[in-house]
Amino acid sequence: MRQVPVIGPIRRGLQSDFALRFRRSRNAMIGSVLVSIVLVVAIFAPWLAPYDYEQINMLAIWRPPGGEHLLGTDALGRDVFSRILIGARVSLTVAGSVLAITLTIGVTLGMIAGYFGGWAETIIMRTVDIIFAFPELILAILVAAVLGTGTTTVIIALSLVWWPGIARLTRSLVLSLREEMFVDAAIASGTRSWRILLRHLLPNIASPIIVRASVGVGFIIMAEATLSFLGIGVQEPTPTWGGMIRDGLAALRTDPHLALFTSLALAITIIGFNLLGDGLRDLLDPKVRDQ
Amino acid sequence: MSVREPLLQVDGLTVEFATLRHRLKVLEDVSLTVHPGEIVGLVGESGSGKSVTAMSVMGLLPDIAGVASGSIGFDGTELTGLSRKAMREMRGRDMAMIFQEPMTSLNPVHTVSFQIGEVLVEHFGASPAQAHAKAVELMAAVGIPDAARRALDYPHQLSGGMRQRVMIAMAMACQPKLLLADEPTTALDVTIQAQILDLMRSLRDQFNMAILMITHDLGVIAQMAERVVVMYAGQVVEEGTAAQIFDRPAHPYTRLLIRSIPSARHKSARLDAIPGSTPSAHAFPQGCRFHPRCPEAVDRCRTETQALHGLPEGRSSRCWRSLEALQDTVAAS
Repeated sequence: MRQVPVIGPIRRGLQSDFALRFRRSRNAMIGSVLVSIVLVVAIFAPWLAPYDYEQINMLAIWRPPGGEHLLGTDALGRDVFSRILIGARVSLTVAGSVLAITLTIGVTLGMIAGYFGGWAETIIMRTVDIIFAFPELILAILVAAVLGTGTTTVIIALSLVWWPGIARLTRSLVLSLREEMFVDAAIASGTRSWRILLRHLLPNIASPIIVRASVGVGFIIMAEATLSFLGIGVQEPTPTWGGMIRDGLAALRTDPHLALFTSLALAITIIGFNLLGDGLRDLLDPKVRDQ
Repeated sequence: MSVREPLLQVDGLTVEFATLRHRLKVLEDVSLTVHPGEIVGLVGESGSGKSVTAMSVMGLLPDIAGVASGSIGFDGTELTGLSRKAMREMRGRDMAMIFQEPMTSLNPVHTVSFQIGEVLVEHFGASPAQAHAKAVELMAAVGIPDAARRALDYPHQLSGGMRQRVMIAMAMACQPKLLLADEPTTALDVTIQAQILDLMRSLRDQFNMAILMITHDLGVIAQMAERVVVMYAGQVVEEGTAAQIFDRPAHPYTRLLIRSIPSARHKSARLDAIPGSTPSAHAFPQGCRFHPRCPEAVDRCRTETQALHGLPEGRSSRCWRSLEALQDTVAAS
C-alpha cells in the first residue's frame, strides 16, 4: 500500500515555519554558525586570550606558530592569537555601532520620505543622492582624515556612508506599501501617522532590511579593516585586523603567519555574515524562497 | 421623516484635481443628504465620482485634490476646512468606512484582534487587554463563529467573507453614526454578499447607524437602500426613494441603468448595455453631460446646461424632460 502523505497541522505558526526553513537552508546554517563563533570570540575575548594582547616581549619576536604561542608572535613579540581575538571585538563593536546608527537614521528618514513625501522627501533623498555620488570608501577615508583617528571617528565615517543605502531601500519599500489598502483602511479609521508608520509599515518592511543589514555587516567590517590598514582607523595599541595585516605585510616573505592568520579571521567573519545574509534573503524573500 | 435633522448634508460640493496642465472639476455641484439610521445608495458607473464623494466626506482626498466650493455638514460640524487633526479624530469614531477589497484591507502581519482593537486604542485610549476583549465581542457581533479563537488568526487564515466581517467589526468598533461602504460586496460570492448585506442592515437596526452605500450594483441598492442618489460624470443626475427610482425612473440615464440589469424573466438576445462610456473629467460634453449617450437627446440637450430640479413627491432630476416623462408613465399605467 502506498504511503499517504501526512498533511501537517494547518495552524503552523509563522515562527516554527521560519525555524524549519532556516534549518533546511545550508547557507543560513553555515553562516549562523560562523557568525556565532565570531560573536562568542568577540564577547569573551579577554577571557579566551592566553596572553595579554599588549604585552611586549622583545626576546620572542616573530616566533612561528606552534609551541608557546599558538599562532606565533609579531614584530614586538606580542601573541598573535590573543590579538586576533581582541581584534574581533574591535571589528564587531564598530560594525554593531554602525549598524545601530545607520538603521535608526536610515529607516527613520526613509520612512518619513516615503510616507509623507513633499519637501521632507526632497531634502532627504537629495542628501542621499549627494552621498551616493562619492565612492563609499573614499568618502569614509575623507571623513576619517578630517575628523582624526579613533574608534568614534571610524564609526561616524562608516555610518555616514552607509545610512543612505538603508534610507533609499526603506523609502522604496514604504512607497509600494503606501498603495496597499490596509494603509488606507488604517487612515480611514483615524489612526495617527506615527502609529501607521510603526505598527503597520515597519513590521512589513522589516525582513528586507534585516537581510540588507546582515549582508552589510560584511561590508562594514571590510571597510573598518581598510581604514585601519591605511592607518586612519582605530589606533595602536588596540589591535585591529586591518592594522595587523598591514604589519604582517611588511614581513610577508620571512614571517607570513601574522598577515595570513589575521586575513583568515577577517575572511571567515565576512563569509559568515554574507552567508547568513544570503540565507536570510532566501528564507524571507518570497520571490526566491521556493526555488 | 422630513423634520429630522440630516446627519450628513453635502451641499453644492465641487472638487477639483490639479494636474500639471489642468484643474479638473471631478465633482460639480454634488448635493446629498443622509438622515440618522438611513441607508442611502450612491450609484454610478466607474468614474462617475461616487468614490471621490465618499473620500471628500472622509477627508481623504489626495493632496492634488481640493474642495473648490460647497459644504459638507456632518452632525452639526462643517467638515470642509476642518483641521487635519480634528478630521482624523472624527474618522473611525464618528464615521467609518469599509472598502471593496477585504483581501488587502487588513495588514498581513497583525492578528485581526489587534487590528480591530487598534481603533479603540486610538480613539478611546483602551488598554491592549480591553481592546482585545472588545474585539472578540465585536467579532461575535458580526457573526464570526468561535470568535475568541479566530481573534488570534492572521488575515491570511480567513476567507474573503470573514475578512469583510472583520472590516465591518473594525468599522463598528466605535459605533460610528455613519458608515461609508465603498462597494463592500463586489469582491464576494453572491451568497456571502447576501449575508454581508443582511449583517449591515441588522447592525443599522441595532445601532441606528446611517449607511452610505456606494456601488455600481443596482441589485445591491434595490435590496438595501431607502433612498438612491444616481451620479453621472461628476454630477448627481437623479435622487429619490428606492421605490421611485426603480419603479418610475425620471432621468434617461437611470432608465438605461435599470434596463441594463440582466434579468431572468425578460430574456433578451443581447444584454442592454448603455452605448459609449463615461466621459473623463477633462472632456465633459457641453449641455447635458449625458446627451452623447442619451437615446432621447434633442437639440436643447446639446446646448443647455442642466440643473438638478425638484419634481413631485420630493424627488429630483437633472433632465428637463423628467416631469413630462413621469406624467407619461402615470398616464400609461
